[in-house]
Amino acid sequence: MRPIVFAALAAAVAVGPAMAQQQTGQPAGNFRLMDANGKPVTLSDFKGRTVVLEWNNPGCPYVKKHYDSGNMQSAQAAAKRQGAVWLTINSGAPGKQGYMTGPEARAFVAQAKAQPTAYLLDPEGRVGKGYAAKTTPHMYVIDGRGVLRYQGGIDDKPTADQADVKGARNHVLAALSEMRAGKPVSVAETRPYGCSVKYAG
Amino acid sequence: MIRALLCLLLTLIAAPVLAQAPGDRHVAMELVPETARPAAGGTVTLAFVSTPEPGWHGYWKNGGDAGVETTLKWSLPQGVTAGPLQYPVPSRLLVSGLMNYVYERPWVQFVDVAVPAGLAPGSKLPVQVQADYLVCTVEICVPEKASLRTELTVGDGAIEPATRARFDGWRRTFPKPLGSEARFAVADKRFRMAVPFPADAALGEAYFFPLQQGAIDFAAPQKVWRSGDRLLIETAAAAVGTPPGVIEGVLATGEGQGFALTAKPGPVAVAAEQASGDAAWSGALLAFGGAVLGGLLLNIMPCVFPILSLKALSLARSGADARTARGEALAYTAGVVLVCLGLGAAILALRAGGSAVGWAFQLQDPRVIVVLLALTVAIALNLSGLFEVPTPQFVGHGGSGGAFATGALAAFVATPCTGPFMGAALGAALVLPPAAALAVFAGLGLGLALPFLLLGFVPALRNRLPKPGAWMERFRRILAIPMWLTALALAWLLGEMAGNSAITWGLGAALLVGFALWFAGARQRRGRGVALAMSAAAALTIGGALTVPRAAPAQETVAGADEPFTEAKLASLRAEGRPVFAYFTADWCLTCKVNEAGAINRSAVRDEFASKKVAVLVGDWTDGDAELGRFIERHNRAGVPLYLWYAPGEASPRVLPQVLTPATLTALAGERRG
Repeated sequence: MRPIVFAALAAAVAVGPAMAQQQTGQPAGNFRLMDANGKPVTLSDFKGRTVVLEWNNPGCPYVKKHYDSGNMQSAQAAAKRQGAVWLTINSGAPGKQGYMTGPEARAFVAQAKAQPTAYLLDPEGRVGKGYAAKTTPHMYVIDGRGVLRYQGGIDDKPTADQADVKGARNHVLAALSEMRAGKPVSVAETRPYGCSVKYAG
Repeated sequence: MIRALLCLLLTLIAAPVLAQAPGDRHVAMELVPETARPAAGGTVTLAFVSTPEPGWHGYWKNGGDAGVETTLKWSLPQGVTAGPLQYPVPSRLLVSGLMNYVYERPWVQFVDVAVPAGLAPGSKLPVQVQADYLVCTVEICVPEKASLRTELTVGDGAIEPATRARFDGWRRTFPKPLGSEARFAVADKRFRMAVPFPADAALGEAYFFPLQQGAIDFAAPQKVWRSGDRLLIETAAAAVGTPPGVIEGVLATGEGQGFALTAKPGPVAVAAEQASGDAAWSGALLAFGGAVLGGLLLNIMPCVFPILSLKALSLARSGADARTARGEALAYTAGVVLVCLGLGAAILALRAGGSAVGWAFQLQDPRVIVVLLALTVAIALNLSGLFEVPTPQFVGHGGSGGAFATGALAAFVATPCTGPFMGAALGAALVLPPAAALAVFAGLGLGLALPFLLLGFVPALRNRLPKPGAWMERFRRILAIPMWLTALALAWLLGEMAGNSAITWGLGAALLVGFALWFAGARQRRGRGVALAMSAAAALTIGGALTVPRAAPAQETVAGADEPFTEAKLASLRAEGRPVFAYFTADWCLTCKVNEAGAINRSAVRDEFASKKVAVLVGDWTDGDAELGRFIERHNRAGVPLYLWYAPGEASPRVLPQVLTPATLTALAGERRG
């Protein structure tokens, strides 16, 4: 009788919540990851600056939509011009679509002419799950005080069609300009769209 | 490394090309019209037949945590319009903690296309559509496009029987409209929903697929309870986003079946686990007190008492010092309470497991009743002295170890011969919050251990213990009487629930168990082993339960007399000039059941119908019969309940309101024919 109970308890612990959602308007969870060059990057190091997080999987057609059209690169450039930090994070697990080693990630950034502040590798998916990143792309904007101000999709056209980039509302750029103007972010949460993040397991 | 880079670059370059090439799609999609010759002014159903490659899946309208819905771009002739894309009941696919609402096997979607009136027969209607959809494996995702075309010609709208059968087969994969509105409430980060669903309607593994975001956490498990004529669903609320004002979705009920429903905010009768704190705790306290009393009573049960008195006597005889006695008493108590807690935890684990897999504890399941019946009969036979539950050797041994083992044994042995008390505790465990349920089991154990605890701490009591003897046997025989009565009650319940053949079956199983136990008893008296006979009894119990005839589809006693609806029957009755009342119902339709009990099957209504020679036809749409579905749809109702009154001489039926009263029906029957 007892072993059954213990087994049941063990199973209950094993399937416990893996995803932790970050609350909009609350301090965002800190993290530390290695970048494509093997250097550690810590979120709290950027205190005082706005930080954009972008979940990335170069093999995902929805990510390609925004890179092949140059939309993501121009958003990165615009954010950096405003003094923001842009961290691209890859939570793909080894063996799954979009997983990259450091040199592969550097090659991708160079080939795509992307300009993130850093390209971070999260092969175990710890940060991705800590932020409940569900899709690629999935975007987060954190203000200088470390408070999460936006989470969701990159824009309001949930397709893989490059033609839809034009005329879409880019939620990240909109949030950044509202924050710069000292206004509350009008669209603070949206449904992210894209491929599911290819976590381990 | 270089190979990996090459692979990556190849994927980057090749994938978009692959995605566009029609021959290399991962989902083969075909456009099939139900008829190529639709009538002008009518509608024709177009089917999108999708066949994924093995390992690939397409998405429901709401893809869950990821995924994208299918979009259609139509090119239609002037005046022809296409309705929304309809989705069949989806299935779940949890990948690394992300929930996907998908189709992993071939699936079919429908679009109804309306053909304008006034087109000349023979007019060509070329239909073109481009479908954009997402298709994934657990590793990669590819958005695909399919350009599909078909040519319709305006004709008579006739549908070939083979095509009709094919479409009707597909129609069964779509959710049926539930008809009644559900309620939902979000509190303490929990989402709760109450769905009207008759207590006796069949239900497999239930799961609610919401169409909207912001209502539930898709990946969280859903707990499903049946509470009378309600289905209660509880899960984690979405952490992000605000709950929509109205939630639409599909309640899947297992085997690919499901119901489309709408839920509005409103009070949800909370599940027992969430019963308001005070009430729950006073209830738990009461249950605990009752459990302690019940446990106390268990001590004089014939199968426990000998163990207890043996132990007590050994304690008294040994003339043990006070410390040893106390130590043994505590060890015994620990043994009893731990085993009781273990039993309780096992039942709770079963309950949790059951909810997680959607296996609602169906206390109304005849199989459960058969098991209980066989168990009660076995206990009654034991009390009647037919056989003994063997007692292991270590009972007489001294020391705390022996005392602990004796306590544990007492609790185990008490389990079978205390059916009513354990039954009550079991019932409590099924409805109380886990902590309170465990308290009940601990109370039971504490009560059971109490006399020995007292004996250990109050030496004077040890000498006053009644001596085991013939009186115990007599007492035991007397206790058999309530057991036999319980068995009688269970047999009656079984008959009520599942009919005559089930009761015969259940009693037959109990009889066979009796034979096995009689054999065991006979061997026991000759001092032989009984394991085989006991196992046979257990196997018979389970076998009997599994094969018990299931309840026949619920039929109202009066409704059973109503003739099944067919259009031919309707036509012939109308030709006779009789008024006809046709009602359309389903086992899962609560409003239907309420109307049947409250109006249609009232004797006042039936008498009036009989005296006015009103013919009553019943259409049972429980299994979603397509033929019947089409008839129902023609009367502007998407589903059941539907009530039609055909007055003699009137060309078309009157559609009655969805809430009936006996007065409405008797008034209709009493109308003067004009």
